Amino acid sequence: MSTLPTAARSRRATSGRASSRRWLAPHLFLLPAGLLFLAFLAIPIVYALYLSVRGMRIEDVGPFGLQTETWVGLTNYLQAITDAEFLAGFGRLLVYGVIAVPLTLGGALLFALLLDLPRVRAAQFSRTAIFIPYAVPGVIASLLWGFLCLPSTSPLNWILEQLGLDGVSVLTGGTLYPAIANIAIWSGIGFNMIIIYTSLRGIPDEIYEAARLDGAGERTIAWRIKIPLVAPALVLTGLFSLIGTLQLYGEPTTLRPMTTEISQTWVPLMKIYRDAFARDDIWLASASSVLLAVGTLILSVILLRATQRSAFGGDDRA
Amino acid sequence: MKRRTLLAALAGAPIASASLAACGTGTGEGPVTLEFWGWGATQKPLVEAWNAAHPEIQVVHTDAGGGDDSAAKLITTTRAGNSPDLALVEYPTLPSLIVAGVAADISDHVAGVEAEYGQGIWNQATFGGQTYGIPQDAGPQCFTYNRARLDELGIDLPSTWTEFADAAEQVKDADPTTRLATFAPAEFGAFAGLAQQSGATWWDGSGISWDVDIAGAESVAVAEFWGDLVDRDLVTAEPILTPEWNSKLIKGQVLSFPAGMWAPGVIAGVAADMAGDWAIAPLPQWTPGDADVAFQGGSAVVVTTDCEHPAEAAAFATWIGTAEEACRIQIREGNYPAATVGQEIALEGDPPDFMTDQEDYWEIAAQIAASTLPESTWGPNVNVASTAFEDAMSAAVTAGAPLTDALETVQEAVVADMQDDGYEVTGR
Repeated sequence: MSTLPTAARSRRATSGRASSRRWLAPHLFLLPAGLLFLAFLAIPIVYALYLSVRGMRIEDVGPFGLQTETWVGLTNYLQAITDAEFLAGFGRLLVYGVIAVPLTLGGALLFALLLDLPRVRAAQFSRTAIFIPYAVPGVIASLLWGFLCLPSTSPLNWILEQLGLDGVSVLTGGTLYPAIANIAIWSGIGFNMIIIYTSLRGIPDEIYEAARLDGAGERTIAWRIKIPLVAPALVLTGLFSLIGTLQLYGEPTTLRPMTTEISQTWVPLMKIYRDAFARDDIWLASASSVLLAVGTLILSVILLRATQRSAFGGDDRA
Repeated sequence: MKRRTLLAALAGAPIASASLAACGTGTGEGPVTLEFWGWGATQKPLVEAWNAAHPEIQVVHTDAGGGDDSAAKLITTTRAGNSPDLALVEYPTLPSLIVAGVAADISDHVAGVEAEYGQGIWNQATFGGQTYGIPQDAGPQCFTYNRARLDELGIDLPSTWTEFADAAEQVKDADPTTRLATFAPAEFGAFAGLAQQSGATWWDGSGISWDVDIAGAESVAVAEFWGDLVDRDLVTAEPILTPEWNSKLIKGQVLSFPAGMWAPGVIAGVAADMAGDWAIAPLPQWTPGDADVAFQGGSAVVVTTDCEHPAEAAAFATWIGTAEEACRIQIREGNYPAATVGQEIALEGDPPDFMTDQEDYWEIAAQIAASTLPESTWGPNVNVASTAFEDAMSAAVTAGAPLTDALETVQEAVVADMQDDGYEVTGR
């Protein structure tokens, strides 16, 4: 009679100690990641938000009065969204994206499907060859293509001149966007191809066997089986490409000294960099960065929502 | 940022320990250690020479990037309260560093130094009677040209801008693949200098408010002059120092580079094989007989507001700017010293390696330096003006639009930015 409550008490006590241990262990494991997240993501984001509502204003009167940092409210946001150049930057991204994204993804899918054919030759060599441009750093790729595009240093122009034809200037006029997109396509195809190809290798062989028994050719298999089954990989690479497009910076910045057509504010990130580091307006740059980040997030969510049914819907039904 | 803090901490450590030691023993103060930011090949030997001669004031040199980069970093570190004690800054960025509280007023520590400089050069670092820096090198604008090619084509050296336009026409007639010069839409400093030569004052802070006049009649005249040359295809309109431009320069298809006195060094870097072909001459003038030129580039050493030893720092800045030994180092490294004594030393020496065929190189340099315009015309937001200028001019050149419109755009951007910051701006 007296033992029962004691046992119950002790059981409760043990379970209490155990539950506190159970509570402690996962949180200890989470601690490093949590601290890193706090230090390198959460705090910088909060700090950027803080900077975005601040600004420098002159304190004393007179030509050499000192400037001090003060609260300016939403002035920076207002300035960013009413800035014609900032908005024009998004327009340029659109043109660039319309050229670069479909060609990169289309090319990557095509190469992945070709490499996945049953009797393909030199697959390993081709895979490496297609992938290697991705290993070339963006700045070096841009310099390399820049030299190839400039009339005086381009081998193409040398050949044209030997044939008695006029040379072409690629970094001006209508060929500027394709020239920049070309760099991204050249280095992006390999990376995206690897993702799609890996996804293709994960498809069980039985499905192909069944399809062949039903009389499907390689073309039909690719169209009816492979592409639908790698749709999640396509969505993923599409998302990467979209974010990559919004973050376009390295290529136009590297090419800028070579042409008069790329301004310092050509794409949003370039304008943010200029505001922060050439014009010393870190506050406007913070506000623009917040806008760009929020915009990227919204677009990503829309893309995922729009493609969810076709890409991941199968899992739900199963 | 982190590394900078670390550097500052390291730089600060010896001071702290030295002063602690001094307190302990009670015998005078230990050596003072100063941190100095400066770019280019010249600063390191200058600092080494100073350290060897001044054991009581030791300077630690850091290359924190070129003029624009280090100016941005200086503003950031000043806000964080850990800027270096001294820094090299370009004259155009100095006003923005003064209003950002980076450069300290060192008038009290530089008595008598003014006499070491020509008035025009000294004024580049002195505003409203207060001195914020010691000039180190100077870049008066000159006409750096491919003398061998001009001789070959039988064209005379232009001494006025009218003659320059005629010469541009003759060059094109003599060789259709060749142009006398390039109008570089992104060269803010070059255009500002030419506008100043024609009489423009872009910023005037001598009154109680700022007067901004970037699109005034004198500047418009310069823009129209170059716009006309571009329209008639007598000069190319393209960025300079690109692989494209360098290739043309090496082929002898671009025959001159009107810029600061540092231009020969730049050409030497692009086309070392052309040594002996190039020469310098006074910049063409708007009015025959005039000799006025503006500065394009050049730099001064400032003491920062964070510096705890401004007297020692000013002594260092004065020494590397005016001491004979320092001037000899500058000349050896390719700088044109700002101090009068340095320019006199240069006169005695041989021409630089790239210009060995021009016996009177230093005489011409001294003659140009002696006729520089006396006033500085830079304002607190030169960075806004230069970035707006580069984009507006590049857009105008691309679209074939009048260059004068671009000047209006710059004027509007600069005035709007200054008003946003709370400055009173007169003019327009």
